[in-house]
Amino acid sequence: MSFSKKRENSSNTSEKKYWKSWNIKWNFFSILSVLVALLENVFISSKENVNNGSYRIFLGCYLIYLVFIYLGGHYFSLKVRLFGGHFAQLNFILGILLCVQDLLTEKFSIFSLPYFVSFAQVLDQINEDKSLLLQSTGASLLLWSLSFAFGTLIGIVLGILIGRYRQFNYWSLPFLKVIGIIPAAAWMPLTMVIFPTSYLAEISLIVLSVWFPVAFMTKGGVENISPTYFEAAHTLGFNEIRIIRKVVIPGALPNIFVGIFTATGLSFTMLVISEMVGARVGLGWYINWAKGTGNYTQVYAAITIMAILFSCIFIVINKLQGTALRWRPTVN
Amino acid sequence: METHSELGGMNLAFLDVKNITRELLNNNNKKLKIIDNINFSVEKGEFLSIIGPSGCGKTTLLRLISGLDRPEEGQVTVAGERIVKPDVSRGYVFQNGGLYPWETIEKNISLGLEAVQGRNFDRNLVKHFIEIMGLQNFENAYPSQVSGGMAQRTALARSLILQPQLLLLDEPMGALDAFTRADVQNIVFKLWRDTKTTMILVTHDIDEAIYLSQKILVMTPHPGRVKEVVKNDLPFPRKRDSTNFLKQRRKLQEILSFE
Repeated sequence: MSFSKKRENSSNTSEKKYWKSWNIKWNFFSILSVLVALLENVFISSKENVNNGSYRIFLGCYLIYLVFIYLGGHYFSLKVRLFGGHFAQLNFILGILLCVQDLLTEKFSIFSLPYFVSFAQVLDQINEDKSLLLQSTGASLLLWSLSFAFGTLIGIVLGILIGRYRQFNYWSLPFLKVIGIIPAAAWMPLTMVIFPTSYLAEISLIVLSVWFPVAFMTKGGVENISPTYFEAAHTLGFNEIRIIRKVVIPGALPNIFVGIFTATGLSFTMLVISEMVGARVGLGWYINWAKGTGNYTQVYAAITIMAILFSCIFIVINKLQGTALRWRPTVN
Repeated sequence: METHSELGGMNLAFLDVKNITRELLNNNNKKLKIIDNINFSVEKGEFLSIIGPSGCGKTTLLRLISGLDRPEEGQVTVAGERIVKPDVSRGYVFQNGGLYPWETIEKNISLGLEAVQGRNFDRNLVKHFIEIMGLQNFENAYPSQVSGGMAQRTALARSLILQPQLLLLDEPMGALDAFTRADVQNIVFKLWRDTKTTMILVTHDIDEAIYLSQKILVMTPHPGRVKEVVKNDLPFPRKRDSTNFLKQRRKLQEILSFE
């Protein structure tokens, strides 16, 4: 095992990203640890009454995946080799963690129900509630997408106006600064009564959490664009619209993405909070409902789904950034 | 607005710089003259170089000609018209190129043309400029992905494609290595010879000025003033190791060394 720093002189980007080198030993250990987790679950008897079917299918799939990585990396593909080699140690630890949590909860009940739940039980709960969870996830995703897109749009437009036009900056910035600094959650009681439907109230809360970071990062981005780019635009005959389209927006885009990433985290918080309070559907509502019935396994199930959903959203935004900023010498 | 007719009575050269002074406020809020009472003129199709030590106001002078800055006193006229703001008829090549890093090489060249001609701009002209600048196969590359020489050739193409009546070059070869610099100098010479565009080059490289220009304006610093306008009429194409070239260089060095 080597604790070397990130390699710097490697030209291949995936080589840079996957810097832990392929070591067959670690791939073998990773398979072994997941296999142990599976055998442990099958052969050690449980103190808790759990349906382990979903968990065993999960471990089985994980195992098959690891074997494919092992074989693929060993015999066929260089890319799999880079990828599989890099994550082998992590997979090994993950196998051990799965095994340990299973022993601590379900098998020996050291951390016991109802507040501590084995991963097997969470998976079983997801399987059991799958149609309700799917519906909730869909509802949350729709609400988030609408609100986030709207909030981002407002943020970018305001940011450009403030960053580009002195008069607009003078008249609006003091007010926007004061409004923007208020945590979106503080508006909750008011939005609930001001807006005719609770859905609009939820949207407005998420928008409130999103527009501020986006607007202020956009403003900074516009202000930091090199004056040369504007001077060049004037000698090239650009009118104001073209300057906005071809200089201001692309020039501020790196900063806009910084704002979007900040806003994304905030928007997830607001999404869950607002669904807990006002909604009849959604993952936030599901958690609140589970809390009411005292079923903490459902809370864990919703948290697991959120982890996956929000990670996927981050990945999508990351990809968008990579495409939009492909002109930069180094992205990521 | 002073128009052509108003100035028509005066016998103006193509580019006429008259008594211009540019002042800035320094840290103590005192007025500081960057350039002081500069006069000169350039004929149509001429190539003028402006040389002088750094801080002598060469770039300031070029910016005043382009209209990017306005003088506190005096005026600049091009073809009889007083310059008050930048315009497509006066191309400006910036020291570092000033290319848009978020646009491809091809887009950087065509953006100005699109702004002037609209959506149906002359794509063949873009292709033509990509060819004469030797940028084939790099149309879709971004400025960060091409060499410094290519970036400067792109910047030249971007300005020249608008067929300006005056091209202002602000040390475009300053940041290039010796080989690339000679290469870009040759391109500038050929473009000047072929398009007959009036060009003004700011440089601190004496050889570059002698190689390219017909007139060399020597400036002195603090504040920037014209020391002398030297005629430079060696036959083209010029050889950097010819006796006359070396003689001219010695002469300019002498002028620059007398303060």
